[in-house]
Amino acid sequence: MRNRRTLPGFMLIFCVTLILADLTGAAMTTTRSITLPEPSITLKEGPGMDATRRYCSICHSLDYITTQQIFNKSRWQAEVTKMITVYGAPIPANDAKVIADYIAAHYGN
Amino acid sequence: MEHDGISRRNFLKTVGLTTALAASGTIPSVLYAGERKLVRFPGKTELLLLTSSPPQLETPLSYFKELVTPNEALFVRWHLANIPTEVDLASWRLNIHGTVNKPVSFRFDELKKFEKVSYTAVIQCAGNGRSFFNPPVFGGQWLNGAMGNVTWGGVRLKDVLQQAGIRAGASDVIFKGLDKAVLPTTPGFLKSLPLDKALEDDIIIAYEMNGTELPLLNGFPVRLVVPGWYATYWVKSLSDIEVTTQTTQNFWMKTAYRIPDTPCGCVEPGGTPKKTVPINRMTTRSLMISPENGSTLRSGQSTELMGVAFSGGYSVKEVLVSVDGGLSWAPARLGKDLGRYSWIQWFYPWQPTRKGTYTVMVKATNSIGESQPMTALWNPSGYLLNPVEKHTLAVV
Repeated sequence: MRNRRTLPGFMLIFCVTLILADLTGAAMTTTRSITLPEPSITLKEGPGMDATRRYCSICHSLDYITTQQIFNKSRWQAEVTKMITVYGAPIPANDAKVIADYIAAHYGN
Repeated sequence: MEHDGISRRNFLKTVGLTTALAASGTIPSVLYAGERKLVRFPGKTELLLLTSSPPQLETPLSYFKELVTPNEALFVRWHLANIPTEVDLASWRLNIHGTVNKPVSFRFDELKKFEKVSYTAVIQCAGNGRSFFNPPVFGGQWLNGAMGNVTWGGVRLKDVLQQAGIRAGASDVIFKGLDKAVLPTTPGFLKSLPLDKALEDDIIIAYEMNGTELPLLNGFPVRLVVPGWYATYWVKSLSDIEVTTQTTQNFWMKTAYRIPDTPCGCVEPGGTPKKTVPINRMTTRSLMISPENGSTLRSGQSTELMGVAFSGGYSVKEVLVSVDGGLSWAPARLGKDLGRYSWIQWFYPWQPTRKGTYTVMVKATNSIGESQPMTALWNPSGYLLNPVEKHTLAVV
């Protein structure tokens, strides 16, 4: 009889303590932080792949390229130009051509 | 007919490849554009990966069987790769400055002392459904999962602005968040609203999603909520509000997120608009969530078609369903009404007896008569998509 009463009583105190500790912890934590997963996309091998990876991944993961629809070379040239003129990507003119050619050849038509 | 020569790619896209793949446990090593794999980012459940940096994740359609979208399932969309991955409320402040009587700065707990406002509203990316554009357009190739229906809790923007006191001559309000560009040469992300719009009662600075704090990836600690308007204005991790006397010349307002200045917001497919305006209110949409497009049903078996419908701030008045490719239409039953900004669920009992292929369509109309076009309208940036959805169901 005694054992049956003391066990629930002990557990109740234990649980209340846990809840209080949890509430205090939440109230004291003012920082929220997360760690983002690393991008894991690899590009298809081919001439211009290195330049594409080097310059494009400065600002965004390479799935920005691989998830696009099928666009032709002039559309990709315009897109690379937009990256330079609008978003300020530091891509030299000859590399810009290499990149557009590479993407059109491997991800466009 | 449209569904007669569906390419593998389009078939997978429409049917929801990833749902099937998730069920079978196989993810192909080569992903076509439009195909997505499921990933888990911090604070989120498994979502469809569009891009990983900046993160763009979309919600599998099956979550939309629920009236309210869980926080962990809501889509994620950032523009610039330096997103806030750590926020300390001890140092975080919301600053209001510019054409005001007195610049003010609020701590998180101070902000929460304003009167609390709460309502359920659809949040939808301007480019939701862009992958279905024909001819295709550049930009995030979203399927239909860049949307959700969330109960937002926060304080009125108007109340907060009034603390600073708006000076005569003010015309616009600019909103900035904690996200930053990688390069100093990239335009920082900001959005602005005309002052009269910004002072509307229903625009809030939200610190709660469905009763709890915002996940970091959805804009902790606060984000702007502009119900009825596309999510581009719902600036995440909001930290700076500037009242100004002129329209911003920033890229994100002046060049991006603009639609043709025509009544439909559209031009002929492949065309170029003569004039554009900033995107604003959402178009009316309805989606069929269950059964999934491409499903097979048994003849004689009763089933219930269901989905969601919403419009840019005006309640959905009617949802019509056609099970014969648009020849005849009948009203669906509408579910619980959570107000004019929320989506509403629609239900349509159906017991097909004839075997064969059915084209099932759904069309919503809102309280001011706005509806959906039978074929998709087009604009060069891939916004406003809202055609009548056509699903193919097989009855065997």
